[in-house]
Amino acid sequence: MEKNELIAKVNSVLAEEFEVEESVITAEANIKQTLQLDSLSLVDMVALIESEFGVKIPAGDLAKVQTFGALYDYLAERQ
Amino acid sequence: MIFRNNDIYQLIPQRPPMFMVDVVWAATESDADTGLTIQENNIFVENGLFREPGIIEHIAQSAAAFAGYGTFVRGEQPKLGYIGEIKDCVMHEFPHVGDELRTRIELVAEVNGIRLINAEVHVQDILIATCQMKIFLKDD
Repeated sequence: MEKNELIAKVNSVLAEEFEVEESVITAEANIKQTLQLDSLSLVDMVALIESEFGVKIPAGDLAKVQTFGALYDYLAERQ
Repeated sequence: MIFRNNDIYQLIPQRPPMFMVDVVWAATESDADTGLTIQENNIFVENGLFREPGIIEHIAQSAAAFAGYGTFVRGEQPKLGYIGEIKDCVMHEFPHVGDELRTRIELVAEVNGIRLINAEVHVQDILIATCQMKIFLKDD
């Protein structure tokens, strides 16, 4: 998958699941703040990413994936 | 390794009458198979049927036993688990006294001690319940 396609799919999937406008999802935006994730819904995001993109994000890596830009890069490197 | 009855005390901290898993057939890092034979004196039995709270508690304790298997392998004490969320829970049938529940637990994701699991409960080939749960495991 090309990176542009990946970004579009990430934005679409997350916007739908967490009921936000896609326009608020930008590379610089903080994931937890933008999607209003708490500790319980953070697990949902990790499960969704794994089911949609086949990439498991270990808890230790979550600290490195704070923004959507970091998430795009993380997924692109592992696909 | 199969755990039965009191052996399961090594996996979960619950004790009778709130002891809702009497066998762990198998467990790996990603899934587990557990069971429970419904006794007449089970506190969740009403009019010969094992009711919703009992099924949910059985699923939660199955998930805790699954986590407890991991701590047992590492030589640690079992952790207390709390139900953080119950989602998409469907009860298809109520088991009868004497029925043997067979429950499949699959780990979907785990972040910071919170486990998202899928559960399917059967009696023989009859689907009893399906459920998704988040279980929070408390560190000592």
